[in-house]
Amino acid sequence: MNEKQSQDTSGKDAFMQWTESMSEMWGGVMRLWFPDGGRAADEKTGENADAEQGATKRVRDSVAAALQNWQTFSGALSEPGSLDAFFKGVGAMPEVLAQLAQSSLNGFMETQQKILDRASRMGDYVDADTFAHLDENFFETWTGIYEKEIQRYLKIPKLGLVREYQERVSDSVDAYNRFQVTLNEFLRILAVPVSRSFVVLQEQVAELADKGELPEDGRAYYDMWIKVLEGHYMTLFQTPEYTDILGKTLNSLTEFKSTRNAVIEDMINGLPIPTRSEIDSLYQEIHRLKRRLRALEKNPK
Amino acid sequence: MTKYNIPVDLIMSKMAEASEQAHAKARKGSEVLLEDLDTEIAPTPYEVVYQEDRVKLKYYRPEGQPKYQTPLLVVYALINRETMLDLQPGRSVVQTFLDHGLEVYMIDWGYPTRKDAFLGFDDHINGYMDNVVDFIRERHNVPQIHLMGICMGGTFSVIYSAQHPEKIKNLVTTVTPTNFDTDKGLLHQWMQFVDPDALVDVYGNLPAHAMNLGFLLLNPARLMLDKYVGFIQNMDNKKFVENFIRMEKWIFDSPDLPGAVFSKFIRDCYQQNLLIQSKMKVGGQPVNLKKVTMPLLNIYGLFDHLVPPEACEKLTQAVGSEDTEDLCLRTGHIGIYVSSKCQRDFAPKIAAWLAERDVQRKRPKSPAKKRAPKRAARKPAAAKQSSPA
Repeated sequence: MNEKQSQDTSGKDAFMQWTESMSEMWGGVMRLWFPDGGRAADEKTGENADAEQGATKRVRDSVAAALQNWQTFSGALSEPGSLDAFFKGVGAMPEVLAQLAQSSLNGFMETQQKILDRASRMGDYVDADTFAHLDENFFETWTGIYEKEIQRYLKIPKLGLVREYQERVSDSVDAYNRFQVTLNEFLRILAVPVSRSFVVLQEQVAELADKGELPEDGRAYYDMWIKVLEGHYMTLFQTPEYTDILGKTLNSLTEFKSTRNAVIEDMINGLPIPTRSEIDSLYQEIHRLKRRLRALEKNPK
Repeated sequence: MTKYNIPVDLIMSKMAEASEQAHAKARKGSEVLLEDLDTEIAPTPYEVVYQEDRVKLKYYRPEGQPKYQTPLLVVYALINRETMLDLQPGRSVVQTFLDHGLEVYMIDWGYPTRKDAFLGFDDHINGYMDNVVDFIRERHNVPQIHLMGICMGGTFSVIYSAQHPEKIKNLVTTVTPTNFDTDKGLLHQWMQFVDPDALVDVYGNLPAHAMNLGFLLLNPARLMLDKYVGFIQNMDNKKFVENFIRMEKWIFDSPDLPGAVFSKFIRDCYQQNLLIQSKMKVGGQPVNLKKVTMPLLNIYGLFDHLVPPEACEKLTQAVGSEDTEDLCLRTGHIGIYVSSKCQRDFAPKIAAWLAERDVQRKRPKSPAKKRAPKRAARKPAAAKQSSPA
């Protein structure tokens, strides 16, 4: 028997002694608190007895059950075989904990790696030589990145009792992101004629300067510019690109508002006020009744 | 040595001069803006003679004895307000009609609220309009009335005339879109991409501010910038400022458009062009333009960017009437009613055209019991008003 075994044995002995003494002590406490085995309170009669019984009986029963459990448990532990098994389990704890920690860490690292992979793939959506149209391509690129790499997280299936509410919130966040993209693209396209009109104005001024016909009045320059600007807008508004982004902006706006309204209705449902859907349903009903009334008024039987 | 021959000294001195002028203008302009300004719109006195829900019927009576046997009902669009026809003294279509001795009724559609979102074409045309027409016919004891429609109100009037031809003596359509299969107007192009049902689902009614923004975007350089540069340049001119403010008041006094009307207007008209093909249905009944057999005067603007001539001019060929006339004026969508030039060409022309076709037989007085009982919401209004509330 080496020193370590000797320490283990002495540790077990001490633990056994402790559990035995604890078992005896709680047994004594039980006998002291409930000398009649808990029957005295049951035998009381009268109005107060009912109340007292109700209040104390539950406490007494709970304490008695707990002491009984402890006695049983410590008694079982004091058996030499049980104690060995117990100490073996305790010895394995750090190993189990380390395994748990390792698997959590691996999961976390894997998620991080996936995010990094997705982030690195974002570069795949941008062509290296398309800087000439960087501003035009930006929104398309961002939409690609968003749909393939970010939106998927919002689309992760929701589970459990409140899954529908969570889904509506995710849908609303998703719709808001998509609306912001189309709105910014729409605003960018609206700004294009302004920047281009200044370029054209500069060319016209240079041409006039060449001919020595520069206007002396500042208003003339403004008139030239506003005419060019108007022309650029008229051209822009008739392009398929403009109508396309206009349609997309309106559609994404309505989608966002629709999903947002659904979330708001969820919240209002918990308050003592009617929702918009309920009011609309009422209006629809009134409308139907009024139409019937009108028909009856015009064609009385 | 510069390459260009630029009269820098002249330009600089002009700039200094312009700066001084701008300073003086701003000083005078601030004085004008602080003065009492007459910016009232719709000043011609009228009486509200009928009301149903939010819809009111205004009655304008000419001074002296009316010179026409038949009163005129003016139906404005559900977009913006009918006050445009009576913008200010000297620029009032209504006043011109009264000066010609014509009794004028005008529908004020009011301000639709969320509860009106479900009211569609049928409710407005075969409901409100038909009740108003019956009210006027009974009030004047005439079987038919003259009907004049403005823009979308013109579209309503065409549909009404097709479904109730027996009640209309003469039809006047002004800047009225009936053919939507054209790419001349930006609205016609843009509306192809709009999903009206999605908008209605979200908003209920189409918000007026959204519509106004859309109209401004038709020509942002002029409507959002140049217009206000012009205002600043003329802000020392009181008359100009008053007229400008009147127009601003009218433009941005916009009711929301009932969702069901918007939805059908876009789907049936802008996207499928059903009306001009007589394929449209309202209230479950077909709108057959061949049933529009009364005389028709169709007026539109050559430079109208909202309802271009191509959207208006096919109507006279599509209707069943043999007495039709197209009149294309060299003006725009609003100018046709408010420009100084059109005050001479527009309303007087309509008054003269109606006068030539006014004679009608009086119908025998119908016993009151034949009328349907008036419902609570549909009541003749008692109070006389001199201006809109």
